[in-house]
Amino acid sequence: MALTFAATPRTRSPETPRPRSSRGRAARRSLTGWGFAGPATLLVVGLSIFPAVWAFFISRTKWNGIAPATDVGWRNYQRIATDPDAIAAAQHTLVLTVLFVPASILLGILIAVALNQKIRLIGFYRTCIFVPYVASAAATGILASFVFNPQFGAANEALRRLGLPAQQFLESPGQALIVICLIALWGEVGFCAVIYLAALQDIPKELVEAATVDGAGKWRVFRHITLPELRPVTVFTAIWQTITAMQLFDLIYTTTRGGPMNSTQTVVYYIYELAFQTQRLGYGAAVAYLLFAVTMLLTVVVIWYNRRSGSGAF
Amino acid sequence: MTSIRRGRRTRLLAAASAALLLTAACTGGESDDGKDAAAGYDPAATVTLTWWTGQTSEAQKVAEGLAADYHAAHPNVTIKTSPGAPTTDDLLTKLSAGFAGGSYPDISYAFGNWAGDLAASGKTQDLTGFVADPSFAWTEMPAAARTVATSNGKVIGVPALVDNLALIYNKKLFDAAGLAYPTDDWTWEQFREAARKLTDPATGTYGTAYSVSGSEDTTWHLWPLLWQNGGKILEGTKPAFNSEAGVKALETLRVMAVDDKSMYLDQTDEKYGPLFNSGHVGMILSGPWALLDIKDAKLDYGVTALPGVNGDHQTVSGPDLWVLFDHEDANRAGASRDFIKWLTSAQIDAKWNLAVGNLPLRSSEESTPEFAAYVKEYPGGQKFFDNLANAKQARPTVAGYEVMSRNVGDGIAKVLQGAASPKEALDEAARKSADALEN
Repeated sequence: MALTFAATPRTRSPETPRPRSSRGRAARRSLTGWGFAGPATLLVVGLSIFPAVWAFFISRTKWNGIAPATDVGWRNYQRIATDPDAIAAAQHTLVLTVLFVPASILLGILIAVALNQKIRLIGFYRTCIFVPYVASAAATGILASFVFNPQFGAANEALRRLGLPAQQFLESPGQALIVICLIALWGEVGFCAVIYLAALQDIPKELVEAATVDGAGKWRVFRHITLPELRPVTVFTAIWQTITAMQLFDLIYTTTRGGPMNSTQTVVYYIYELAFQTQRLGYGAAVAYLLFAVTMLLTVVVIWYNRRSGSGAF
Repeated sequence: MTSIRRGRRTRLLAAASAALLLTAACTGGESDDGKDAAAGYDPAATVTLTWWTGQTSEAQKVAEGLAADYHAAHPNVTIKTSPGAPTTDDLLTKLSAGFAGGSYPDISYAFGNWAGDLAASGKTQDLTGFVADPSFAWTEMPAAARTVATSNGKVIGVPALVDNLALIYNKKLFDAAGLAYPTDDWTWEQFREAARKLTDPATGTYGTAYSVSGSEDTTWHLWPLLWQNGGKILEGTKPAFNSEAGVKALETLRVMAVDDKSMYLDQTDEKYGPLFNSGHVGMILSGPWALLDIKDAKLDYGVTALPGVNGDHQTVSGPDLWVLFDHEDANRAGASRDFIKWLTSAQIDAKWNLAVGNLPLRSSEESTPEFAAYVKEYPGGQKFFDNLANAKQARPTVAGYEVMSRNVGDGIAKVLQGAASPKEALDEAARKSADALEN
């Protein structure tokens, strides 16, 4: 799997030093720098930072996108705490994250170990595992809603063959969130597997050999060599998958639209619902800012903890 | 190093304040100055109008043809026709972005329940005087549609499409169950009884169906029941649907969904139509838009007025509008008014709404050959046209209706899935909506 890039070393053309004031040279260097960074900076400022700043000002107004906005100060933020729908949405997001993140990491490690074997057609298996990740979540969602259709879906057909009772799946308030988590896992586990596969192949062979020479069995090698070596990657995947779970939207939009009875309405979906379905842009922006703050805080805490305990993921 | 830092900080500050200024410009609106938008209009002036039709494929082609016809008759008026957005639902988002950026159309299609919000933008024309002119024949349009086009006493648009809910039933299923067909005099008790007898778990057949997605589709099916029971949606700007009448209306639906299990509960809005068309649902409460798919499914069907309470069979209408916007240009405002007057005239509307399978806008169109052709193609069409007379009340056109609709829809969904009682659910919906309706 390793790729090598061969590049012909370029000989630097000898520059004739011209008499120039150091000020001019600095200005030129700075201009050149901005020449490279400028277009990207413009894009980031125009498409990310400006809307983010704007959203903050919107979050302090009551605005439906059409009539003039009225300033309401921090009232939108205060309202989140007493809004039962927002609290329910936060709970759904929490449940989804708690189910999704550990499951995707565990499955990712398992699949990566399995794909790290030297067997025939391994390239084909690896591709198979990664394909769902490449497929768009919207397509995954539409496909899954066929599979889990209570009346005509393949999932109930399989249950029937096994002699188990038919389930409502996405149409039952109790099961919908779990089914969504399963669909998300199917789509995202390929990503974890590939990351772990790369990490597994990075583990120095000498370490494994040394442990084997010292009499460690396969399990002990895995427990005391492989797992600790995978730690930095695990921190990365944990953060990455947490963000994925917290921002899961397209899957929910294409399967349940937040239903049944709002049981799959996550924070992101609730924001969409507020801002673009019921035109409460101010309140929606406030909830979005809260979500941003929570995601940021979580990431900072994990990185801080990780730096303190001295592993080098970030 | 400090100087660089400070420089960076000032730059950030400058950027932030620039953003603030821009934001203030973007979220601000204009107030109404009370002047007629078309005062001093010169009909001979050369103008270009932008028309967002909200239509796709076939209907959009018809619209383009009509715009070309109009241009041929009035060479000084060029009409730029486009759907405006990928789906009609997205038009509102496009309009709000257009308001923020200052580039919005002269005429746009709009759902009736947006009227309150659009009127609050301060960018719509006041057409009250214009439609009052006898030559416009405003009263030929259904009363419910005229009410929806009016927000706070001001007419902001002209009805573009009228419809209503009626009872559509599958004759084959009624015959198989040995039941008499529904009539215009049915009560809800008779409806429930028939639904119960049509339901057969062995064949996956339901008596009737209802959407529990919590959207406007869920909500507006309840309004006729509420009105028939003597209830009101709003009292002033306060929610009034959680009255005794509202509870009784929702209980009528609950017994079918929870006690009888004769009601298919659709989580998506999109499944009950096809299920009816495939013969798995005996009766649905739906509108003329369902007729095209039913025709394609070659289903033997009948249409009657909604079941009633004490002989009151009133229904709900969901009219859509052509909303006219003000660009501070009398010639554009005047030209767009003339165009819409032409488009919604009995003669041209027959080539527009009837041609694309909708009900006619004006009562005077009943005698046109286009109407005869429409009824021949869609046998239920006549019934829907007659049922327009039963649309006596309209959904309120107030800002905040969208929020209230969502809360009521969620409440109905809970009740029909057995998770709440009608009283609890409606009270909760009223409490959650009060804030959005009042300020």
